[in-house]
Amino acid sequence: MRHVEKPRWKSVRDSVNVSLLLWTIGLLVYGSVVVASATSGMTGGPGMFKRHLLGIAIGLVPMIVAWAVDYKVLRHWSGPLMVALSFLLISPRVPGLGAAAKGATSWLQIAGVRLFQPSEPAKLLLIVVMAALIADFEGKIDRPKDVVRIMGYLAVAMVLILWQPDLGTGLVFIAITMTMLLVGGMKGRYFAVLAVVGAVGIGAVLGFHLLQQYQEDRLLVFVDPTRDAQGAGYNLAQAKIAIGSGGVSGQGLGSGTQGNLLFLPERHTDFIFAVLGEELGFTGALLLLGLYLALLVTALAIAASSRDLYGALIVAGVIGMWTFQILENIGMSLGMMPITGIPLPFLSFGSSAMVTNLGGVGLILSVWSRRYGT
Amino acid sequence: MTTFQQQLKSRFAVLGAIVLLVLGSLLLRLWSMQVLSGESYALQAKNNRIREISLEAPRGRILDRNGKPLVTNRATLAVSVDPANDIVRSLIVRAQSSNKTDDPTRSELERAFGGLATQLGMTPQEVFAKVSDSRVEALRPRLVAIDVPLETVSILSERQQEFPGVRIDEVAVREYPNGSLAAHVIGYTGEISESQFTASEGAAGYELGDIVGKTGAEAQFENVLQGDKGKRLIEVNARGKPQRVIDEQPAVAGRDIRLTIDIDVQKAAEQALVGALNEAHRQNFPNAKAGAAVVMDVKTGEIVAMASVPTYEPTVFLGGIRPGEWAKLNEKSSEYPLNNRAVMAAYPPASTFKVITGLAGLQYKVTNSGKTYNCKGKWIEMGAQWSKLCWNHAGHGTISFEGGVEKSCDTVFYEIGYEFYKRKNEEIQVVSRAFGLGSDTKIDLPGEVSGRVPDAAWKKSYNANYPEYQMWLPGDTVNMAIGQGDMLVTPLQMTAVYAGIANGGVVMQPHVLKDVLASDGTIAKSFKQTVLTTTGMSSENLAIMTNALVRVTTQGTARGAFSGFDASVAGKTGTAQVKGKDDMAWFCGYAPAGAPKYAVAVVIEQGGGGGAVAAPAGRNILAKLLGLPAVNVRTTDPSR
Repeated sequence: MRHVEKPRWKSVRDSVNVSLLLWTIGLLVYGSVVVASATSGMTGGPGMFKRHLLGIAIGLVPMIVAWAVDYKVLRHWSGPLMVALSFLLISPRVPGLGAAAKGATSWLQIAGVRLFQPSEPAKLLLIVVMAALIADFEGKIDRPKDVVRIMGYLAVAMVLILWQPDLGTGLVFIAITMTMLLVGGMKGRYFAVLAVVGAVGIGAVLGFHLLQQYQEDRLLVFVDPTRDAQGAGYNLAQAKIAIGSGGVSGQGLGSGTQGNLLFLPERHTDFIFAVLGEELGFTGALLLLGLYLALLVTALAIAASSRDLYGALIVAGVIGMWTFQILENIGMSLGMMPITGIPLPFLSFGSSAMVTNLGGVGLILSVWSRRYGT
Repeated sequence: MTTFQQQLKSRFAVLGAIVLLVLGSLLLRLWSMQVLSGESYALQAKNNRIREISLEAPRGRILDRNGKPLVTNRATLAVSVDPANDIVRSLIVRAQSSNKTDDPTRSELERAFGGLATQLGMTPQEVFAKVSDSRVEALRPRLVAIDVPLETVSILSERQQEFPGVRIDEVAVREYPNGSLAAHVIGYTGEISESQFTASEGAAGYELGDIVGKTGAEAQFENVLQGDKGKRLIEVNARGKPQRVIDEQPAVAGRDIRLTIDIDVQKAAEQALVGALNEAHRQNFPNAKAGAAVVMDVKTGEIVAMASVPTYEPTVFLGGIRPGEWAKLNEKSSEYPLNNRAVMAAYPPASTFKVITGLAGLQYKVTNSGKTYNCKGKWIEMGAQWSKLCWNHAGHGTISFEGGVEKSCDTVFYEIGYEFYKRKNEEIQVVSRAFGLGSDTKIDLPGEVSGRVPDAAWKKSYNANYPEYQMWLPGDTVNMAIGQGDMLVTPLQMTAVYAGIANGGVVMQPHVLKDVLASDGTIAKSFKQTVLTTTGMSSENLAIMTNALVRVTTQGTARGAFSGFDASVAGKTGTAQVKGKDDMAWFCGYAPAGAPKYAVAVVIEQGGGGGAVAAPAGRNILAKLLGLPAVNVRTTDPSR
């Protein structure tokens, strides 16, 4: 390695990962185009598009801050960060601070003004906290009590997020943790045990009907499309029609009938991919998946270049978050995954998610900038 | 590379593989949905957003022979109920489920339709019966009432929330400028029945709920009158709200048709029938309630008038007949006013049939002009135990063949009939069939019956289960000779018989369609006149018969009815005996006798004597045809 002797980065240029920024910008531009099309027919459509651009602008702040701050500092702040994480997750439930939407109390609202969804930045906090925790095992997690300890942290986050209840974000938490455990060196048999525990847990939740009926319907409608045919089943069917009717080259930007004629629900947020699929077709979907692949592969390379395990774990956490959200969001529109309200990274309308995803980019850049040195 | 980086290499490889697996499986699924099944999804998307709306084509008008309207169209405000309304839909779904206990209750119907019912003067149940009609296309608004007064319309539209699913449209309905005139020939319209719909499947583009001709010319010429529906493709959004018109194919109006009916003659015929019923009542035949009259142009077969009493108001069918009204039109005491007795009812022809017996006798030389018979009032040629009476029990004494026709002497025709029985060749039946009896006249109206010409073969099969009644007896032929027994004819068939005699033995095909008009009013297609049957009667024999028939109206059984009539009429009265009922009065004839133009037949069920009741009606119809003044003749002539 030719740079291995260099103690630290010397120039700004050296701290910039051009590929990562390029793919990020590509996704933001692509997303803005699709959001513009999805919101064009809505009341206040131009206003919403401006809000989308504003979300990107706001997101640049945490990105640059995370980039500028040496990620290693965060490792010493694990305790306060875990407290902050907990507070973020509890905050919507604090009287006078929360606002309910779609069956969950997941918004922070002060004096009647909706601020953001705390569960979004909470994902990043979880990544940073978990990275510090797992890094302490120095790449080898082999003792049951270590696994239990890590699961304990995850359990706290899970209980709080399910209290909202926001099942989708809960699943993201699990995906983040599992990815980091993989990179953190947890032995295969523990993955197997956790998989069994998870399967039993899902079985128990469904078997004893612990979920609200609408939640159960949304989770299972992808298996049985006739379930909740007027609600979740209808949404899923319309999303599939939209995507399928896009064909190879799509109906043309702004010409998707499923979206414009209101057949598609949540078309600028959770079902944004259906708009893309309908209007830009397989070609457009291929371009999107290509951009995601480039972004994730670049992030993987950065993780591999990290000079410490802590940095590698942070990047792995972000990769896990994005990969799962891509799988879940697109998979849900294609009828492969249960329906949960998870936004598609960089594409979906929504400032909270934009802030989180750009913050994630900032964390990765922070790891990249400090790849040299001790 | 540090040690830990080496250590992590394989873990990042696994993570990279997971990323590839995730993106790869999404891509595979996208390939399958967008590239392989794209067209099927595209079709679903199209069905999602595109609705086809039928544009009704105005129905063609029906005009009389001179172009005067018999049926036209008018615009009216109609109240419909949209079955897609949530409240309405749930009630319909429950009413149509097999579970009877789930049927909407009285109070639920009252809540949903009570307000509307009150506005329309109906009961909530009546409203719901129309709304829940399962035959109508699922999404089509159900027509509840037409001709809704403007103040009701404004109440319904101003207080919409009180009337779930109610909508108001302007629709075209049939208009009958002459009321019930010629109702049986015109027929009425109504929603297409399931059987009609199935029969027409695909061919004519009908939809359930469409208005079609149900009877008469409306049904017969449905194809011409209906027109071609237009189509409008509209794009709707997810809430079903129309966004824009994608394509429109305008409706093509139905063609107008001209019938052979003459409004003035038709009026005269209907008035004559009503007059005959009144006359029958006056003559103490209180059961006289029904009858028919037909006028035919002997040279062309055109039906100039066709009347049937009792009649009905075709307007009751507009917007869907109410169940109560329908029951009223179909109960026994109503005498079935919907039936067109001119073609749908078969009666014994009685003495009007003597023209056939007579012509058969002349043709087969069983009798001849001037041949004399002796009528003693009682005829015992077949043996004393099989004696038969002439209507004139006192007897006509010595009487010629022509005198037999003139006075309707039964004895003369018993003799002729008995002669035919002995010849065993069934010539009376041959001549009957030659004039078209026993078969449809193939008139262009629905529902015609063919009547019956009895013969030995018929009697055998008719009594297949009663061997003792199977043999054809002398009395059968003798009875038939005077138009009694098992012979059955429709008024139209008898009109055609007399028209055939008037037209040199050639019966023209009777028809009511004159022509079909193009959209600019010019004639697009005319009915092609054809011969129904050529009887083969010699002109000498036809002349003998005409001569005898003129004697009927000048000095015979119709003398009273035609007294003072300014034209020469060849006619014959008839009085049919039907077991358990009063006599049926007949008159058939044609005029002017020298150069015949029109044949007419009149029958009054349970009306009494043909000369006293039916012949005066025939006179008034002929008077109208020939431009002579109508006179209310009263005759108590007892002759048959």
